[in-house]
Amino acid sequence: MTTLHALCGLKVAADLPLPDLLPWRGDDRAPDVTIRQGDVPDRLDAPVVDDPLLQMAADGACRFAVSGVAAYLVEGGRTVTVRAEMDPAAPDVRIFLLGTVFGLLCAQRGLLPLHACCVALGGRAVAFSGVSGAGKSTLAAAFRRRGFPVLADDVAVVDVEAPGGPLVLPSFPRIRLWRDTMDALALPHDGLERSRPELEKFHLPLDDGFQAEPLPLAAVYHLEEVRPPAGGGVERLDALTAVRDLENAVYRSRLVRRLLGPDRLFRMLARVAAAAPSHRLSRRRGLGDLDTQVSALIVRHGGGGNRG
Amino acid sequence: MNGFYWLASYPKSGNTWMRLALWALNHGKPVDFAAFPYWIPLSASRLLFDDALGVESSDLTHTEIECLRPRAFEVMARNADQPMLRKVDEAWIRTAAGEPLFPPSVTLGTILIVRDPRDVAVSLAHHMGMGIDEAIRAMANPRAGFCAQVRQADHQLWRRLLTWSGHVESWLDAPDIRLLLVRYEDMIARMPEELGRVARFLGWDTSAAALAAAAEEARFDRLRAQEERHGFAERPVSAERFFRRGKAGGWRDTLSPAQAARIESDHAAVMTRLGYL
Repeated sequence: MTTLHALCGLKVAADLPLPDLLPWRGDDRAPDVTIRQGDVPDRLDAPVVDDPLLQMAADGACRFAVSGVAAYLVEGGRTVTVRAEMDPAAPDVRIFLLGTVFGLLCAQRGLLPLHACCVALGGRAVAFSGVSGAGKSTLAAAFRRRGFPVLADDVAVVDVEAPGGPLVLPSFPRIRLWRDTMDALALPHDGLERSRPELEKFHLPLDDGFQAEPLPLAAVYHLEEVRPPAGGGVERLDALTAVRDLENAVYRSRLVRRLLGPDRLFRMLARVAAAAPSHRLSRRRGLGDLDTQVSALIVRHGGGGNRG
Repeated sequence: MNGFYWLASYPKSGNTWMRLALWALNHGKPVDFAAFPYWIPLSASRLLFDDALGVESSDLTHTEIECLRPRAFEVMARNADQPMLRKVDEAWIRTAAGEPLFPPSVTLGTILIVRDPRDVAVSLAHHMGMGIDEAIRAMANPRAGFCAQVRQADHQLWRRLLTWSGHVESWLDAPDIRLLLVRYEDMIARMPEELGRVARFLGWDTSAAALAAAAEEARFDRLRAQEERHGFAERPVSAERFFRRGKAGGWRDTLSPAQAARIESDHAAVMTRLGYL
């Protein structure tokens, strides 16, 4: 059975369950993206990128696979074919579909995926980029708890070339949190879905805490861990550093650079840097300073009025 | 294809000290504690794995990660324009898929640093904030590893250490590997010479004067003083300081006779093989 969903404002038709996504409530146009189960070749012919998990063809089609979970074929920013090696409804299959595969699909459509969470502060989008484990989802959860809507948990999709852009396009209404973080934030995990049965990484639905409409990007913060004696803080980056750090924040940067082309990617990064100030946000490990930093960011972005 | 030099050792055996001396030799100036941590990355770096394979390792199981690590090393080697050095605190093992974790095809050589396990036990106890008996038990645990938790993400990947003996022998007996054995005790006795052996093994062009200068910069009391002023990024929260004593045979005034005897019996064969018994 095919169901219709919204993802970054795109109309997505899928024949496998995608409970992470919002249902489509827009017009009855033909779907922008089709996700279907089917055959995925074991290799692409004459790949221009030939990595262990990923191949890319000259036309930008990508094959990504995690052995024992699924193989995915992403074509033209319009079609994703999934060959699951387990129950296609299992969360494992969706994790990679809504991770690497989603990032590639966006880049094929000319959108810029950043490895960042994104929240609405003062009516505009603020992105927090960082590597895996830097605390993106923890920050998103902390803002959510203070009543600020979340646009994205791990991959913030930016439509740089949109009128009024750069715009952040909302992804889907859930965040993923490790058990230890949930315990520290006093969030119950009973009954929540896990990303993988072997990992205590839980899917927390955002429900009404999701910002479903796009917002202009107001600022970018790059998360950086510091150790005592250094303390946390915010440092505004100059234009050159901003572009360089944004480049590092691009999700699956090597592949996205290939798909967008280096010139177009650079123009996008320069435009983002010009429109939204970039900062380095230093944090100590652990959650000790979390509330203080979140409060300071709310004040900084005039977000007080949003407080729920 | 380029490849890796593995700078391997059981934890608390002088690996960081050797890397600091190599930094000073390579840069020809005093060690910059701020720039140092990223100079020779850890073999188990999560970021480098994720980058090489285009996947979040935090969405993969321990077994999936272990089986993919040889592929990640191959991609890094393919993309590198020069030989790479990696700090390795894990054992040389075969993955669950039966192949070497550190692929011989991308291995240029291994520098194995060893230290008397009686001194390792004392240092490990301080480093991990545990009792000495607990450290001795950890060194005898064949299932010992780092970052095994599945409730949070660490910057480092899960990896196997094995026992102290198992770790050392896994590297000593690893097939198809060019190996240079360095003793911590020799680094204390004559750092310039030991640094020179390592530099020549790596193919670095160097001189006796440069080696002496680098060994001087990496003198233990200097590193200790610098840690007191600036802190040291590799110090775990559990340890009071990273650079503690830098001594060989310090166990004699710290371990009880029973503790020393326990280590000697746990690790008799390998201690004998290395001349520690």
